[in-house]
Amino acid sequence: MSKSNRHARIAGAIGASLALLLVACSSDSKGAATSTTAAPAASSDIPVASSDIPVGSSDIPVGSSDIPLSSSDIPVGSSDIPVGSSDIPLGSSDIPATDALTTLGKGEGELNIIAWAGYAEDGSDDPSVDWVTPFEKDTGCKVNVKIGNTSDEMVQLMQTGEYDGVSASGDATTRLIDGGEVSPVNTDLIPNYADVFSQLKLQPWNSKDGVPYGVPHGRGANLLVYNTEAFPTAPDSLAVMFDKTAAGDAAGKLSVYDSPIYIADAAIYLMSTQPDLKITNPYALDQKQFDAAIALLKEQKALTTQYWSLYTDQQTALDSGTVLAGTTWQVIVGLAQTDGAKIAAVKTKEGATGWSDTWMISSKAKHPNCMYMWMNHIISPEANAAVAQWFGEAPSNSKSCALAAAGFCDDYHAADDKYWNDVWYWTTATAKCLDGRTDVKCVPYSEWVNAWTELRA
Amino acid sequence: MDVVTVGGGGAPARVSRFFRRHRKASLFATLGGPVAWMLLVYIGSLVVLVAAAFFKIDSNSKVTTDFTTANVKAAFTTGSFVDAIVRSVLIALAVTAVCFAIALPMAFYIAKVAKPRWRRSLIVAVLLPLWAGYLVKGYAWKSIFTPDAGKFAAHKGGGFLEATLGWTPGFGKLAIVITLAYLWLPYMVLPIYAGLERLPPSYLDAAGDLGARPFRTFRSVIMPILVPSIAAGSIFTFSLSLGDYITPRIISGGKEQMIGNLIDQLQQQNQALSAALTLWPIAIIIVYLLGMSRLHAFESV
Amino acid sequence: MERPRAVSESVASTIESARASASDRSTPAIQLVRLRKTFGAGDGTVVAVDDVDLEIDQGEFFSLLGPSGSGKTTVLRMIAGFELPTGGAVLLDGVDVTQRAPFDRDVNTVFQDYALFPHMTVQRNVEYGLKVKGVGKAERRKRAGEMLDAVRLSGFGNRRPTEMSGGQRQRVALARALVNQPRVLLLDEPLGALDLKLREEMQGELKAIQHDVGITFVFVTHDQGEALSMSSRVAVFNNGRIEQVGSPRDIYERPTTSFVASFVGTSNVLSAALSERLLGVAAPHTLRPERIRVVDATHVLDDHDVAIDGVVDDVHYLGAESRVRARLDDGSVLIAAVPSDGLAALIAGQPVRLAWPRRAASAVIESVVQPEQQGENQ
Repeated sequence: MSKSNRHARIAGAIGASLALLLVACSSDSKGAATSTTAAPAASSDIPVASSDIPVGSSDIPVGSSDIPLSSSDIPVGSSDIPVGSSDIPLGSSDIPATDALTTLGKGEGELNIIAWAGYAEDGSDDPSVDWVTPFEKDTGCKVNVKIGNTSDEMVQLMQTGEYDGVSASGDATTRLIDGGEVSPVNTDLIPNYADVFSQLKLQPWNSKDGVPYGVPHGRGANLLVYNTEAFPTAPDSLAVMFDKTAAGDAAGKLSVYDSPIYIADAAIYLMSTQPDLKITNPYALDQKQFDAAIALLKEQKALTTQYWSLYTDQQTALDSGTVLAGTTWQVIVGLAQTDGAKIAAVKTKEGATGWSDTWMISSKAKHPNCMYMWMNHIISPEANAAVAQWFGEAPSNSKSCALAAAGFCDDYHAADDKYWNDVWYWTTATAKCLDGRTDVKCVPYSEWVNAWTELRA
Repeated sequence: MDVVTVGGGGAPARVSRFFRRHRKASLFATLGGPVAWMLLVYIGSLVVLVAAAFFKIDSNSKVTTDFTTANVKAAFTTGSFVDAIVRSVLIALAVTAVCFAIALPMAFYIAKVAKPRWRRSLIVAVLLPLWAGYLVKGYAWKSIFTPDAGKFAAHKGGGFLEATLGWTPGFGKLAIVITLAYLWLPYMVLPIYAGLERLPPSYLDAAGDLGARPFRTFRSVIMPILVPSIAAGSIFTFSLSLGDYITPRIISGGKEQMIGNLIDQLQQQNQALSAALTLWPIAIIIVYLLGMSRLHAFESV
Repeated sequence: MERPRAVSESVASTIESARASASDRSTPAIQLVRLRKTFGAGDGTVVAVDDVDLEIDQGEFFSLLGPSGSGKTTVLRMIAGFELPTGGAVLLDGVDVTQRAPFDRDVNTVFQDYALFPHMTVQRNVEYGLKVKGVGKAERRKRAGEMLDAVRLSGFGNRRPTEMSGGQRQRVALARALVNQPRVLLLDEPLGALDLKLREEMQGELKAIQHDVGITFVFVTHDQGEALSMSSRVAVFNNGRIEQVGSPRDIYERPTTSFVASFVGTSNVLSAALSERLLGVAAPHTLRPERIRVVDATHVLDDHDVAIDGVVDDVHYLGAESRVRARLDDGSVLIAAVPSDGLAALIAGQPVRLAWPRRAASAVIESVVQPEQQGENQ
């Protein structure tokens, strides 16, 4: 073989391997395509609920015209709004110091936000579902929405500094706060903050050292879904997900949420089955507690048929009966029931994981005034009620319930403080234990990621 | 000719004169752009990817510029990662074998048996599935494989296979292999067909003339001559299968993880480890390509 | 064209009688009986070989000569078994092999493109036939080595065919066929790809090899010089039929059809009308250019000479001799081959008289299809 010939071959080899890499690594393209096709699947009707579970009934009109979506009551762009109160304690020492906005100026004319699908609807999915256009009209801020498919993707996008704000779940917020990606929020500049359920304010996932880092948007619990024929008696325990006997006919036909944060579900189950582990917070696991949760999840693999990350995948499996029980979201339950699936869902007696989403402002926001106006708008009773009904979660504004369809807030337990007592909202695990323990180090989220990937591989 | 251009004014004439006198400049002007693009985009992205494997990520999953070998070590020593690699390679090899077994008689029929006027239509028919969406085909196969869900099934009887044959591979590795083999089959048929087209008919006559029966001719003459074409086809089927992550997710409902799934999942949660894991397929593909180039695959693509 | 049943019955009886004498030493090596091959169907049917009868004797060097598309190669391929006849029979040593596959026939072929297997060394190429027949490794090696010696390629065994010149490949192809010791060797234009000098060299070698091994060679060519110089007998093909079978001398000197006359050696063909005027016989005649003399008008003719006047079209200088094209008064053209010495005076447009001995012209059958645009030589 001549020398030049060999060079040509090696060059060819490298070129081809690079081509493969492009295939292997451009995961976004296909993934994003999947998600966008899936998103419109959420129909405009809040799905029918079967009688034995607390879900919105079919007669709730979503985005109907009787919900006024104007935001005329928000003080916009007025320069005479008083300066933010000086007594808000700003960033503690370990957080990159960024100051909250003290006065609200004129809108910058543009706003770039990252949102969960369904959180920033401009009528393009359903003309009657639109709380972006009224905002644009009132404030002059043109809204550009980037859909984030996962919490991890949202964190990554925020780290670019290209966006003004994000609707972050609790498993992203800590990373954003500690990483200095987001700024504290001066709630004085957000009149609607006053009406937010107090149970949601200044929580670990949306504040740091008593300083708010965003405005609570909505919340929900991760439920146990089950096939009503496989379970003639409604189950009420997480044991269905982890114990072969309790799973019964569903053993081998479980559907598990495919994310590292699911480790917390195992921890909640361990809180009641192995009290000697002394787990007090499923997001504050020392190495021993963490290992126990991973061991439990390894056993669960044999019971599982599906790890879902795309909610339509689970919906289809529930419809066909290939999945008989699993971790689910309220919205999936509704959709599958509309399809005719014989399923129901409960919040288990051990408690449940859940989410409470927070709108946060980037520390590098180029349009801070517009972002403040957006945060005020999105938690206004009108917008908040519309989002909650469209997405299928409990609204954060106490006045939203009056505007929502009759019974909606009851079904979603919006004002039912007791219901949320045993809901552990997604929170990012940190090495400093969230439950206040100082004698041990806890396993940080980055290791949850590695452990979950290993477990799944 | 020169007399004319020397006398002639105008920028185009001057430019053309310049390049005629400076051959190297002319070469650079034509190839410089594409080569620079290649280096920047292909080599550059590879370098960045490999470099990313050695970055440390902080507790907020943010990539820092600190150097660490921990990611690479984890990628290459963690038992379950190695398992996933072995699984991926075996699946890719199985897909390649299945594609080969189907493509060879198919290509042989088209190139050597079918009437010449049918050949074009048959080749178009082989390529036709490539025009359909990848996801559509994935979900279609999933519905074909759907087993009878048992007594709680919404629709009794399961998917097409279960309903007609009473058997289905379910949603496991076999189903993934079948689906991937279906997806990449045209990439194996085409090079083999091209190889057979190039095969002079006199070779087959010669073998028969020397006493070889058809099977012997196939084994001792056709197959060895087709090796480069098969190797070229296998590069497609192997590398496309090795890197695939959508099919396993659709078919197995996320239960069977291939290396692409791990990379996909981690690229948002732990970019550095994700980059480290890509070193696996890079290494495997380079080894595979070097092996195939020994079989003269690149002279035949 | 539908052939009557009687024909196929006569085919059968011919085969029968051939079989009866199969053990006879005088049995032809090859017998073709009403051999026919058509391609396509319906209106597009092409008759490639049209009821060919032929006998080739043991040990002959037999050439199938004809222009491309005349059916000679198709006949060869039917003898080898690569094509199945549409009708008729092929007998080898008196045995009907018409329906047998190539691997079941005791013939071997040297292909036009040699068809050497590119993935095997020369040695393995030559051994291939023996290996297929189950000859042991040592024996195989020995015989292949001897055969490579015979074609003067010893020491080339480890090369690949692609690393050899055209002439060398040609000899490898020959060795690969001959090592099997076939009863008949078929050669399909084996010298076509070689340049002139090499071709002439190989012609001599082939003849020598045939003489040494003593088996029947059937040689397909479109080059009449090649056919005439090498063969014991030649069959001239035209349009799927055999026009004439005979020794090279017969073919060249006594062509029986106008096609053979003009295809082999570029004879002049005098039309029936012209023949009647000059010779008193109303049938086409052929006339070799070298028999024609260019004389001046004052030249006194012998009694047995024939002469005609014409005008020089052009003069083609070929070294020792030149070819003079002359146009006759009836518009036809005669070509005369004359020594170059006395030609200085001849120029285009000059009137000349052409003369030849009366018996130099011989009557031929008018062929249906004439070769188009006969060249001086191939």
